[in-house]
Amino acid sequence: MLTQTRTGSLLHQDHMRTIDVLQAIQEMTHRHPSAPAVEGAVRADLERLADTMRAEVERHFGFEENHLFPLFSKQGEMGMVVMLTHEHRAILPLALEAADLAAAALAGGFEETGWRNFRDVAAELVEREIFHIQKEEMGLLAAIAALLDPAADAALSEAYRMAVGGEAGE
Amino acid sequence: MLAGAFLSGTTGRLLPPLIPYRFFATAVVMHLAAWVVLLAGADSVPDFTGGLGSVLAALHLVTLGVVAMTALGAAFQLLPVATGRHLGPHWACHLTWWLYAPGVAILTAGMAFAWVPALHAGAVLAVAGLAVGGVVMAGTLARVTGMPAMTRHAWIALASLLALAVLGLLLVADFTTGFLANHAAVASAHALLAGYGFMGNLAMGFSYVLVPMFVLGRSAPDAAGKRTAALAAAALVLAAAGVLSGAGRLAALGALVGLAAAALHLDALARIVKTRMRKRLEPFFRLLLPAWVLLPASLLAGLVLALGLPAGRTAPLWGFLMVFGWLLSFVTGVLQRIMAFLASMHSVVEGGRPALLSALTAQRPLDFHAAAHMLALLLVGAGIVGGKTVLVRAGAVCGIAGAIAFAIFAVELARRYRAHRGASALPASSNR
Repeated sequence: MLTQTRTGSLLHQDHMRTIDVLQAIQEMTHRHPSAPAVEGAVRADLERLADTMRAEVERHFGFEENHLFPLFSKQGEMGMVVMLTHEHRAILPLALEAADLAAAALAGGFEETGWRNFRDVAAELVEREIFHIQKEEMGLLAAIAALLDPAADAALSEAYRMAVGGEAGE
Repeated sequence: MLAGAFLSGTTGRLLPPLIPYRFFATAVVMHLAAWVVLLAGADSVPDFTGGLGSVLAALHLVTLGVVAMTALGAAFQLLPVATGRHLGPHWACHLTWWLYAPGVAILTAGMAFAWVPALHAGAVLAVAGLAVGGVVMAGTLARVTGMPAMTRHAWIALASLLALAVLGLLLVADFTTGFLANHAAVASAHALLAGYGFMGNLAMGFSYVLVPMFVLGRSAPDAAGKRTAALAAAALVLAAAGVLSGAGRLAALGALVGLAAAALHLDALARIVKTRMRKRLEPFFRLLLPAWVLLPASLLAGLVLALGLPAGRTAPLWGFLMVFGWLLSFVTGVLQRIMAFLASMHSVVEGGRPALLSALTAQRPLDFHAAAHMLALLLVGAGIVGGKTVLVRAGAVCGIAGAIAFAIFAVELARRYRAHRGASALPASSNR
């Protein structure tokens, strides 16, 4: 992964947080073949999913589509923009559904059917999002480094701070 | 950089699927053929030190038919996307396959049946195919300014390809004319240039790109790649010169330098794996991990061979560890992942979702292949060491079973890919 740009570094930190949540959810679903009680570690993982997944994915995708991709499009990198946007369209509904299911479970626990449904949604979300992050870590961050000059990188990282929050100056 | 480069060149750098997949499909078929031919020549395996017959054919079915076949298909797809430089014309990639695939089939048939016309025709076709493919790769590499970890190993691979092709043609001609003063020495130099030089350096170079992507780990530092490339080049020169001149100590020095290159390479890969973001390694790593163990094991076997241990058992063990142990394990591991990865990338139909890797991959055949492959390595290896042909036969049968399972995975991948695209296209067409 290439993170020598400010923008790349910020997106990389987003990826780290997302991967962390997704892998915790993956581990949880592997540990519990049947519906678990929503307490302890299960509750903590579901809270992270419900609280952070929706916001992070929405803001992350929104930043890329509204600020980063237009710059790439101007430089003729339409293939990358189209494919990543296409994947966002597949991942975002899954992330929102998983967050909603987690929130519902936090409020009322899991029934067996609900647990199976949550596991299915979570499994597809984990696989699609990790495949997506693999591409962004190895390609998008490299493309940012190759296509953006330092001034554009600084402006974009400031735009990230405004749109997403976080320490753009790192 | 691989996946993103795919992205940045969805229309320009992701090749038509026919180009890489015709190489991959051929490799799958030759994988099965290699184990079948090894079974046919099982009696000769423990004492094999060269010469025409089934064992030589089986070795070349793996090296040329599986490893180099996969390397060509993968290099055509990976080089332009990993380097950001355009590949040569697509017709040259197709021509490579049309020359190379029949060439390997004819050459190995000629080896198995000691049929000289086939030997000559197959060698010429295979070398012509490799030459076209090598020119295509060199054309792309020549325009790359960065990525020294990958490109330096790729250049060493191409230089080795040139040398091994020349030696290979000399060896084929020598079967009928007998003009070489030391056929066995030339054959050994040809083998090490092919195994460690061409295929090994491609494997090392592409590992620096592929492994970080698959595990979401840090890239290998350029300095590490430069060091391993320099050591690998020095090792090849020393070992080849030592073998050709009959200077065992020089060849042994080459093996030692090769061990140093392998140690640094494996250390760089271990650091990548340690810093990975993905906690769970994907299943194909169960083939890569033993391959990484068998690389230095094969070099140790080569070292003791160079130091003068009788070739009777050591030479076939060296060849088996290098070809079936290291290279075949590595390539079948990478091949199963690349085939599914590319299929997912190609599976998008307008308005649809890309197919999930898990939905495209038939995991049970791959589980079976991994187990059968490892058992085959253990049995054949034990058969060579103990001089027991019954163990070699049993190992070859396991290899055949594993290769059939791998073929089932490949066929099922194609079926699931077509089904996904068909299902994705239906709503779009019905809306028109």
